[in-house]
Amino acid sequence: MAVVLLPGTLAAEAGGQKRFELDASTVGEALRQLPVTNLLFDESGELRRLVNVYVDGVDARGGRLLDEPLSEQSEVRIVGAIAGGS
Amino acid sequence: MAVLLPVGTRKGLFLLSPGHGSSGWEVEGPLLPGWSVFHAIVDPRDGVLYAATNNPFYGATVHRSGDLGKNWDRAEEIGLPEESGLKLNATWHIEPGSDSELWLGGDPGVLFRSDDGGLTWTVNRGLLEHPTRDRWQPGAGGMCCHSIQLVNGTMYIAISAAGAFRSEDGGESWMPINKDVAADFHPEKYPEVGQCVHKLLVHPAKPDRLWQQNHCGVYRSDDRGDNWERLDGNGLPSGFGFGLALDPDDPDVAYVIPEESQEYHYTSEGRLGVYRTDDGGASWELAANGLPDRAWAAVLREGCTFDDGNVYFGTQSGSVWTAPQGVSSWTEAVRDLPPILSVEAAAV
Repeated sequence: MAVVLLPGTLAAEAGGQKRFELDASTVGEALRQLPVTNLLFDESGELRRLVNVYVDGVDARGGRLLDEPLSEQSEVRIVGAIAGGS
Repeated sequence: MAVLLPVGTRKGLFLLSPGHGSSGWEVEGPLLPGWSVFHAIVDPRDGVLYAATNNPFYGATVHRSGDLGKNWDRAEEIGLPEESGLKLNATWHIEPGSDSELWLGGDPGVLFRSDDGGLTWTVNRGLLEHPTRDRWQPGAGGMCCHSIQLVNGTMYIAISAAGAFRSEDGGESWMPINKDVAADFHPEKYPEVGQCVHKLLVHPAKPDRLWQQNHCGVYRSDDRGDNWERLDGNGLPSGFGFGLALDPDDPDVAYVIPEESQEYHYTSEGRLGVYRTDDGGASWELAANGLPDRAWAAVLREGCTFDDGNVYFGTQSGSVWTAPQGVSSWTEAVRDLPPILSVEAAAV
């Protein structure tokens, strides 16, 4: 089972749960099983621009992003882009 | 019944209620931390608390709570149809409907309706596909549908910068109501649409009377928006501002909080000044007893409200001020909140 870790705001929206163990073969498949899907994807089904996804510590936007394959041991970490200041 | 003030800030929602704090107000929050709360209301029909919530990472949505903020539900996907070519940028204003429905205004100049208590939302096609849409443009805060008023079967909305619109058929169609409302930034000074309305209110006891604080002046209409009279210049230091409040018992009373200019968004004359008219806008007087006389504050379009007894406003510097209608003196209910985006008053 791949593990998906949520940051604080998303975890609050998921009933306080930060860690999910999911049966998924790709990043997209994992993210679409989360109870915060509509916060990760816009109405066109596109991953929101400032949502970054790291698979085992590597930025999935530099790879195949939603099609990035997951293994049983994969750790997927969702991180808001560094866009602070406000 | 007691008053409750839902105060939306850039860093969550706060609930203010009369209590034993040093100012006489208790503060609860932040609720919904991580979310910018553009507007929050308590629905007078059932006591449900709604918040128009926005996050730079996770988009625009609506939260609802049936127990005044202890537990929250989030709306399902709120979006625009793919064929529109538009995407929802922000949720701006929630308004209870005339029956059981709720209305939600958003950016880019869109309106939604919910018939299940804010869980799902359907876009209003009459506005989405309005024949003048290609002449609308975003203001500095985006192309936000920020004012929604319903009275006697008539709906009014206002969008920055598209202007004000009226619907007589429940939102099926929308007629621009911008006659004699200036758009000084526009090649045509008095266009059919494109005005930058900052806030529009209908007087609750005199529904033919509308007030608007505009980018280009303060206006009043006595015929449901068919004609507008520009009111600034009669004691107001500036026609530019955002906040607008009324007195439910007196249709001739209004309050505005002028700002220096469209270029300088802070209160006029280096002070925090509320201006009041009691003659329908023919003249305005400074009503600032208790407010700081050296201040460069700013009050946003949702940051000013009223009820039967009081006027309230919140500043971007995090203070909420209250005064009785008529304004003998202002009291600072709370200070040092995050930048305030909205203030509403509810009886709970």
